[in-house]
Amino acid sequence: MFEAQEIKAEHKDLIHDVSFDFYGDRMATCSSDQFVKVWDKNGDGNWTLTSSFKAHSASVWKVTWANPEFGQVLATCSFDRTAAVWEEIVGDTPGPGQRGTRHWVRRTNLVDSRTSVTDVKFGPKAQGLLLATCSAEGIIRIYEAPDVMNLSQWTLQHEIHCKLPLSCLSWNPSLSRLHPPMIAVGSDDTNVNNGGKVFVYEYSENSRRWVKLDTISSITDAVHDLEFSPNLGRSFHILAVATNRDLRILNLTPLDDEQASQNGVTKLDIQTAAQFNDHGGTVWRVCWNVTGTIVTSAGDDGFVRMFKMHSINLWKSITSIKGDGTQIPTATEATRSTSTAIPQASSVSTLAGQTARYIKLGSISQPSREQWY
Amino acid sequence: MTTFCVLQDGPVNALALNRDYSRVAIGGRNVFKVYLIEDGRFRELCNLRNSKYLSQGFSCNDVAWNPTDDNCLAAAATNGHVSVWDLTKTGRPIQDYQDHKRTVNKVLFSIHDSNKLLSGSQDGTMRYFDLRNEVPALIFQSKTESIRDVQINPHRTTNFSAVSDNGSVQIWDVRKPDRYLSQFTAHSGPVFSCDWHPENHWLATSSRDKTIKVWDLNGNKPVLEYTIHTIASIGHVKWRPQYKYQIASCALVIDSSINVWDVRRPYIPFASFTEHRDIASRIAWKDDPNIFLSSGRDYRLYHHAFSDGQRPASKANPQGVTLNTFGEIIYSRKVPNTLSNSNSSSQNSISKAVGMIRKISTTQAVDNFHQASSCLYAFRPETDGQRKTEEMQNTCAFLRLAETYILQGRSVSELCERNSVIARDFGKSDVAVTWKIVGTMYGEEFVQHLTAIAPVIEEVVPPPPSEKEEAEITSDDQKGTETPGGQFSGGDDDTETEDQVDNAFPNYMNLRNGCLPKGDFFFGENELDVELDGAPMFFNYYHYGRFSQLEYNQIDWTLPTEAFQLQHEIMDHSPPPEQFPNHHHSASIQIDTLHTFQLDEQHSAMLTVSLPPKQLTWDPSSVVIKTLQHYATLGDVQTAATVLIVLGDSRKYLTGLSEAVQEHWMMGYIELLARYKLWNLVTRILKLSWIPSISQMNQQSTSFNTNCGKCLKPLQRVGWLCDRCHTSEYGLCSVCHQVVKGLYVWCQGCSHGGHIGHIKQWMSQTSLCPTGCGHMCEYN
Repeated sequence: MFEAQEIKAEHKDLIHDVSFDFYGDRMATCSSDQFVKVWDKNGDGNWTLTSSFKAHSASVWKVTWANPEFGQVLATCSFDRTAAVWEEIVGDTPGPGQRGTRHWVRRTNLVDSRTSVTDVKFGPKAQGLLLATCSAEGIIRIYEAPDVMNLSQWTLQHEIHCKLPLSCLSWNPSLSRLHPPMIAVGSDDTNVNNGGKVFVYEYSENSRRWVKLDTISSITDAVHDLEFSPNLGRSFHILAVATNRDLRILNLTPLDDEQASQNGVTKLDIQTAAQFNDHGGTVWRVCWNVTGTIVTSAGDDGFVRMFKMHSINLWKSITSIKGDGTQIPTATEATRSTSTAIPQASSVSTLAGQTARYIKLGSISQPSREQWY
Repeated sequence: MTTFCVLQDGPVNALALNRDYSRVAIGGRNVFKVYLIEDGRFRELCNLRNSKYLSQGFSCNDVAWNPTDDNCLAAAATNGHVSVWDLTKTGRPIQDYQDHKRTVNKVLFSIHDSNKLLSGSQDGTMRYFDLRNEVPALIFQSKTESIRDVQINPHRTTNFSAVSDNGSVQIWDVRKPDRYLSQFTAHSGPVFSCDWHPENHWLATSSRDKTIKVWDLNGNKPVLEYTIHTIASIGHVKWRPQYKYQIASCALVIDSSINVWDVRRPYIPFASFTEHRDIASRIAWKDDPNIFLSSGRDYRLYHHAFSDGQRPASKANPQGVTLNTFGEIIYSRKVPNTLSNSNSSSQNSISKAVGMIRKISTTQAVDNFHQASSCLYAFRPETDGQRKTEEMQNTCAFLRLAETYILQGRSVSELCERNSVIARDFGKSDVAVTWKIVGTMYGEEFVQHLTAIAPVIEEVVPPPPSEKEEAEITSDDQKGTETPGGQFSGGDDDTETEDQVDNAFPNYMNLRNGCLPKGDFFFGENELDVELDGAPMFFNYYHYGRFSQLEYNQIDWTLPTEAFQLQHEIMDHSPPPEQFPNHHHSASIQIDTLHTFQLDEQHSAMLTVSLPPKQLTWDPSSVVIKTLQHYATLGDVQTAATVLIVLGDSRKYLTGLSEAVQEHWMMGYIELLARYKLWNLVTRILKLSWIPSISQMNQQSTSFNTNCGKCLKPLQRVGWLCDRCHTSEYGLCSVCHQVVKGLYVWCQGCSHGGHIGHIKQWMSQTSLCPTGCGHMCEYN
């Protein structure tokens, strides 16, 4: 069961992204109001605002944390066509037991894009300090900070041109040296006739450039978010994709292909492991738990839903959380079914009408609690 | 309503629509034309640029239509001329005022008197012309550097506003040229344009400071109503007709798009038009709020249909969700529109009453637009026992297991045995069973055999049997005596199975596996060897195990099946792990298939002794690898990594498991521990690691540089010479005044120091600093 708690974010416009740091005890939010806010967990486990700063001159789309090895570092991207890297500076401690003042300093502003920068993500730390951005003009840019101690120097290493406007990006976080750096991008182009909306690129050590491995042709709907699962020990990769229609979970298996390995380019076998339309419409966000076994998605129906991997090709819905904090949660099978959001909403409101007082702001249903072993 | 454009010979700086919006005049560098706006296209009416009167470098900054005469047009030129043209006589202007000393930025006709013309110039003056006179009627001295824009107040038509480079806005009365009525500073940079709201007494100003500001000028003092932050200097703004809160803007640099904003949502454009390939210079709305024209430095004049604009907000992600290591979810979502609908409908009725908005259907969406806000929630998994989620239990189990697993200091079988118990205690029965199996397959009894056997000697003395081994031998004996019978009775694996079942040791796994899988393992290992070596080793093994060759063959190939069938049958006799039947469901199937596959070949194996041992064997390592892979795939990299660690040297038998995969698992486990800030465990794992790249991880970034006392830059090469200052003066010993090239000891109080020996000696005599700085240093 989950305990829901509203956080007074006091952003003046939509919040577009929330992001935990590596350890999960700091959190950053970004909004169209051009501000980024950083939250820390206090002793009671509640979130308190520790910093709030104007990051861009337009909507801030995404905020993401670098590995703490590189310091307390954030990257943001914005409608103002830039991406920025921020570092937290902690001032001198005013006294014993007190914390110094903290503020975030913009270390760099990446201005190469000519259109809105729609996503920004740090690369896996094994590759050093890498930053990838993607933009509405369909270009992926890979930056590197050659000196990890100097966050104000970034060099544009690669520009990858895609044919479609890009909306989201994910690095493959695999820790294995068998897996070369890989990036997947998604396009929110709504024209189904433009073909696949997810592209997978890999860095080829031989040619020293990024090579397109595949266009996932099975996804022709607009893609709003995608994320590779953490890969702590798998031989294959899992990619969760949030589309206009459903949540897809794809298995990307590198094939042992003689010819491919000679070229230094991996061949991928891409299979759809699961497809959920529980949200009954657009899925906006996906994220993974740390072990890469649970996908959490948020969609137009206002639910946060969790799906668990039971085996390679068996995924099941485990939890649905009604997320607007004003209505009693549905705790039945109905939430798991593929019915559309409208009947759900009506049933919810009648429920809410019957219950005069309720303290819980959210809850879950666990339709399937099978043992997986 | 369509979007279309027409290409010009040069950048277009200005455009103006006539009173009935049927004609558009454009001006720019080498551009001065009039078009008729037709359905879907522009038709050129006349080209004033052809006039011989205009010089080669003619560049027009603004054009204006006479409010009553559709053939009368005024143009403001960069050379300071203000010219008035009659389209029926294009040869030369009907008037050409050369009064301004610098570029004229703005020209416009008086609303009421079509003979009156107002201009604003870079020279800081505005001039009021009467077309019937050749000299300006009035001169307004702004006393600022330059006037960028002039707009007549539609609500008080004798008043006009002028904005200037110094960030100020002046309000003038055309009848009072001596002094402005009022002035206020609107921006921190040059103000490039202003526009009066068609209904309210609002003035919008735009500036190089990247903002658009809306001022309410009703009262005595201007009140800043709205501020829109944009990404670039704003060169031009224009209110959208019939939409009270909407204003169009175009930038002066960077951004070539035309944005239409709702002033109440000052962060994201309501609509965005990206047709221009270079900066757009001017915007003009038709009477229809869904059509506007724009000119650009990309040599183009555009006719825009509002419906063709992009809606950036619709692409904006309205939700965010993130999950942390403790299963906590942070979720942000747009506050649903159902709430705001009621608000907006009430607003609609108000605005309808005022008569400002005509189309309710479209305004509905528009009114919702500005009411965007998000709420943020934290969903925390409950931690008390009963309501704990399965994931939470898993996380807790992971942490407890990480803390309690014993990874070294004992024999493999002991470690496995203990870890198995630990895993079971935390509810991980499947992992517990895995530990048991690993323990029995790779326990040191077997490894001892291996080492004893490895050198090919006729007689091998078995190592002194431990307690366990004793029991094991007993079982071997029993088996040894019973199996022949079984064999002769014609049964194969069945006999064996029964045999084992009869024994029914509580500790069945160890006993059984202590003997049998040893053999398997032996063969697995044997695969590595040259075939020829195989035979004597077999023999040795049989000898030691007191089996005949025949028996051995039989045992060998029946074992795998037996091992797993047993698990099912024994269940009835002793209380085995409950999950046992479930465990390795896939693994046991694999073994079965493996076995049946081997079975066919086995017959020939019995006949021909020379058959390569490879085909006789069942290699447990492949199953173990598959098991570990299974765990790793399902996210339990902890089991995979800890089993590898505990196996120690026996890892070498897992021939199918590449070091890269081992490294992957170790890295995975380390990363996971790091996420939970279990640093001590991470170091322990690093120390136990056998993979160089991992065990060296704790040797990276362990050095740090001291700074030069002079330039305060890090001393890169050595600690006593700064490569920048080329001085060692800060590396001198305070006692002997020589450069200290070894260990430098210094006082943290006064920062003086030197050779450790010298300082030690000095401090033994006095506690004062040797430099005489007077500090009472302390040396321990």
